[in-house]
Amino acid sequence: MTQSERIAGGLINRSQKLTFTWNGTSLSGFEGDTLASALLANGQHLVGRSFKYHRPRGIFSAGSEEPNALVTLGSGAAQEPNTRATMVELADQITAQSQNHRGPLGWDLMTVNDLLSSFIGAGFYYKTFMWPRSFWEKVYEPVIRASAGLGSLSGIADDSSYDHGFLHCDLLIIGAGPAGLMAALTAARAGLQVIVADEDFLPGGRLNAEMYQIDAMPGAAWAAEQVAELAQMDNVRLMSRTTVYGAFDHGIYGALEVAQPGSDSTKPRQIVWRIYTKRTILASGATERSMIFANNDRPGIMQAGAVRSYVNRYGVGPGRHVAVLTNNDDGLRTAEDLRAKGITVTAVLDARKGEAVKNTFGRRRVSGIILQDDTSLAVDCLAVSGGWSPNVHLSSHQRGRPVWDGDIAGFIPGADQSPGMVVCGAAKGVFGLAAVLESGARVAGDIATDLGCHAKIDLPDTSNEAVGTAPIFDLAASKGRAWVDLQNDVTTKDIAIAQAEGFTAAEHMKRYTTLGMATDQGKTANVLGLAVMANLQNQTIAETGTTIFRPPYTPVSIGALAGRARGQNFRPKRLTPSHQWARENGADFVEVGTWIRPQWYKRPGEKGWRDSVDREVRMTRASVGICDVTTLGKIDIQGRNAAEFLNRIYANPFLKVPVGKVRYGLMLREDGVAYDDGTTARLSETHFIMTTTTANAVTVFRNLEFARQCLWPDLDVHLNSVTDAWAQFAVAGPNARALLSKVVDDLDLSNAAFPFMACTDCTVFGGTLARLFRISFSGELAYEVAVPSRYGNAMMAALIKVGHDFDAVPYGTEALSVMRIEKGHAAGNELNGQTTAHMLSMGAMVSQKKDAIGTRLSQRPEMIRDDDLRLMGFRPVDGGDTLIAGAHFLTQGADASMANDQGWMSSVAYSPSLGHAVGLGFLKRGADRIGETIVAHSPVRGGDILVEVCSPHHIDPKGERQRG
Amino acid sequence: MASITLEPIAPLGGLDLQIGHNRVIEQVDLALVSIAIPLGGDDVLAQRLQDHWGLASPEPTQTSTCDDWRAVSMTADQIMLIGQGDRPTTEAEIAAKLNGTGYTTNQTSAWVCLEVSGPDTVAAFARICPINLALAAFPIGASARTMMDHLGALIIRLDDDCFQVLSASSSAASFAHAVETSYRNVT
Repeated sequence: MTQSERIAGGLINRSQKLTFTWNGTSLSGFEGDTLASALLANGQHLVGRSFKYHRPRGIFSAGSEEPNALVTLGSGAAQEPNTRATMVELADQITAQSQNHRGPLGWDLMTVNDLLSSFIGAGFYYKTFMWPRSFWEKVYEPVIRASAGLGSLSGIADDSSYDHGFLHCDLLIIGAGPAGLMAALTAARAGLQVIVADEDFLPGGRLNAEMYQIDAMPGAAWAAEQVAELAQMDNVRLMSRTTVYGAFDHGIYGALEVAQPGSDSTKPRQIVWRIYTKRTILASGATERSMIFANNDRPGIMQAGAVRSYVNRYGVGPGRHVAVLTNNDDGLRTAEDLRAKGITVTAVLDARKGEAVKNTFGRRRVSGIILQDDTSLAVDCLAVSGGWSPNVHLSSHQRGRPVWDGDIAGFIPGADQSPGMVVCGAAKGVFGLAAVLESGARVAGDIATDLGCHAKIDLPDTSNEAVGTAPIFDLAASKGRAWVDLQNDVTTKDIAIAQAEGFTAAEHMKRYTTLGMATDQGKTANVLGLAVMANLQNQTIAETGTTIFRPPYTPVSIGALAGRARGQNFRPKRLTPSHQWARENGADFVEVGTWIRPQWYKRPGEKGWRDSVDREVRMTRASVGICDVTTLGKIDIQGRNAAEFLNRIYANPFLKVPVGKVRYGLMLREDGVAYDDGTTARLSETHFIMTTTTANAVTVFRNLEFARQCLWPDLDVHLNSVTDAWAQFAVAGPNARALLSKVVDDLDLSNAAFPFMACTDCTVFGGTLARLFRISFSGELAYEVAVPSRYGNAMMAALIKVGHDFDAVPYGTEALSVMRIEKGHAAGNELNGQTTAHMLSMGAMVSQKKDAIGTRLSQRPEMIRDDDLRLMGFRPVDGGDTLIAGAHFLTQGADASMANDQGWMSSVAYSPSLGHAVGLGFLKRGADRIGETIVAHSPVRGGDILVEVCSPHHIDPKGERQRG
Repeated sequence: MASITLEPIAPLGGLDLQIGHNRVIEQVDLALVSIAIPLGGDDVLAQRLQDHWGLASPEPTQTSTCDDWRAVSMTADQIMLIGQGDRPTTEAEIAAKLNGTGYTTNQTSAWVCLEVSGPDTVAAFARICPINLALAAFPIGASARTMMDHLGALIIRLDDDCFQVLSASSSAASFAHAVETSYRNVT
């Protein structure tokens, strides 16, 4: 096609021809076109099918309120469904397809729905799919899901990049139409830091679409001059293609910036900005409404303002024989603009004079209208103006409720707007160009004064055009179906059904009929729907009320919301200090929260992970193993009252821990439930190092800070997280002492000089700072040695090298876990937020001679019952059986019911040391049941296993190894 | 005793990136020591800093400098000293000079430190840093603790287009990726 409907004039660049593809056909447009204007220039009025009835639909608007022209852009990874053609800036070689039809767009098989419309009105699905019950999931749901929605995703990961960002300003101006530009000029000249955001790629708003004169020049030219001035000012950031989609707390706004199509594809395609501003001016303009008459949804029936946009801005004739239907003076101006472009105006029907359209006809595009006297007029476009609705949406995002203004027949912002926001121009219900410009200037001037700047109000020379909107919405001249919400296929009949069925509140009607939902959020439909509702209830629109709005103002893609947080960058990764060494030495890694840890080290010949883990456990218990345990939380606690502080934090006493000693500690929540454990070492009278579990490192630190700052600010205590500062290695096994004696400088490691639970500052390998702790998670003779983390990689290599004489082996988290289960140490599975000290057999640790967080509530009768659950060990009666974590315990012969539930298995492992599986779990009256055989029942993962109750300390129950 | 000497590795191995007219350099030889202020001991510590180093106590969001150190206000009760050339004895030497008027913690290995500079730096950091880095709002010598791409960070302005940014050493690679991506997205 050759742009057959292109006419003279407009703001497009005719020297820059662009080629694009629509439903497989190559078409052309010009720089400055939208996809919608280019389609119209090529005579393409039918652009999609309606949501429910699959009616032919055409381009209705020229802006972000578009309900009909939703298309799929691109294909494959870049495919983007449900894109408003009116907001797509035309670029060379873009491809677009129509949506929601089976078969060609012109011959949609689903138009059968339109024939069945009597049966599928509002809420039909609530009543229709009731029986038979067996059809619910197998028939109804698949059919409904297949029918629902408009466009579809490709199913291929989007390879575009997206980003987020933060901006700051004194004044955010939302909208760069006449009010916004005037406000920006006034504020910027006064010296404020100003951000102007506009969803269009060409600032100016309606000035680009109308034939206004300002300062004796066309409005569009005046707008361009002002934009040029603003662009030169250092204190102004002009953001075109940027939609402010949400007003949030504390002067924070969300904005979506879309890159110019065809720009550098290596840069982010869309950016979500968080804008922090002291003040905000909402200059978002207004949206034109349609009117209600039979078959008012045909392609070619458009907003009158959109018709003027296409004619004046884009140089496109939406029709060659155009009728105008209006309830205000804009309609009359439409006729003038069309005639000025040489387009035939077939009729101007002024509803204020009682003139109306009774019906329309035409299959894929309107071809005629029927008037009240049943005469027909041949038209190929009907321009409709039902008045303008101020774009109040962002003023509602913090529960601001719009109020009805009868003078303009629309809702305007109420008094309870977002803090710091003022509304001006058409968004406030101010119509008439001179008034709009003054409105923008005045509010900006007031804000500048309020922020301590001097503003000069300098208004250009222009005039106010006539408006004169009459509240006429529903022409109701025929019995045919009349559409209220084009996007959701809601007709006046649907609203009547809702009314009849008791959905008489605006919010209920919306949800029952779907009016005002989906991508356009009812921008062109809401007032019409309320008008119909008010009429049915024989009351005014003001009495009927309205729904309010929440973010986003217009759709925001999931990709933009995700930003960079996808794939490998979904969240930060934390690497252990010896990560490089581990990678070079066969480690298989696992995510532990944000940490990446070796879970085992594969050796040649090992066929599976069990081979590696079993070897690591065996060799550690036989000689010595080394594990990077840096991920455990490490908190540096200093101060005159550090010991007192810890004494109040831990359930067990800490006041008298000697310098050079480590103590195991148990933390309780305020409700007395156990939540973390670890060891804390006293390095000096005023200095402790606490370790926490990896999982709770942040939680514990946060809670300590809360206790320090809020509970006991009178204590001299100071905290630092030093988890990242120190690389810490467990050295465990019978040869641990022998190995470390070759590592640690000038320190007697004998049992007498450095016994179990000793600690000290020291140096290693001839002078590197270090700390040494004699603690054991494995149950073996063990130490943990720490060096500054930048030495961690070298330390790991050195420990292995020195340990060569002892067949030292690195071990990962799996072997670590196996050994702690063998030893019977509680970990995350046991400290699950439900277990008490009593259940963990640590009830005696909870000191009753002092007060600590959680002590009081831990002594409630239900939490210290002797017949309650108790942490126990379990081993399979048949040594070949595998245990299952999560299995529930039953006495033999009991039915598997909640009433018979005896507890659960929390941790299991195969013990290479014992040659069979071992488990930990909680069992009712467990301490009294050692030796009893019970059933571990796992209905989910299959089968019953007979297990024998035993001590949780499967290995070395007397602790002789770790103390040796 | 084995004849082994441990060699340190910087979290990013000494990263040095040129992105357009901008540069990202990992500062590998910094010493970082935090000093906690004993309860009620602000004035005593301030005097001690002045006496021994000629260093003023930094106000919140500010830094102060002397020949060897930059002091940064970290929290209400804590400052951090950042200087060149870490030694095993650095923290102990500072502790000795403080003589109990402040509690020291060795932080050298806890952080990765980048010096970022170039004309696109403010624009790049607007992609990850919620702090207003306009010169008027965040002048030379200003500091802030903040988040960058979900990571805790400390940022200090060294010059109009030059900043020192620090984040946790364990997530240094993610942090550097965030900084590099930000530059690449704006240049």
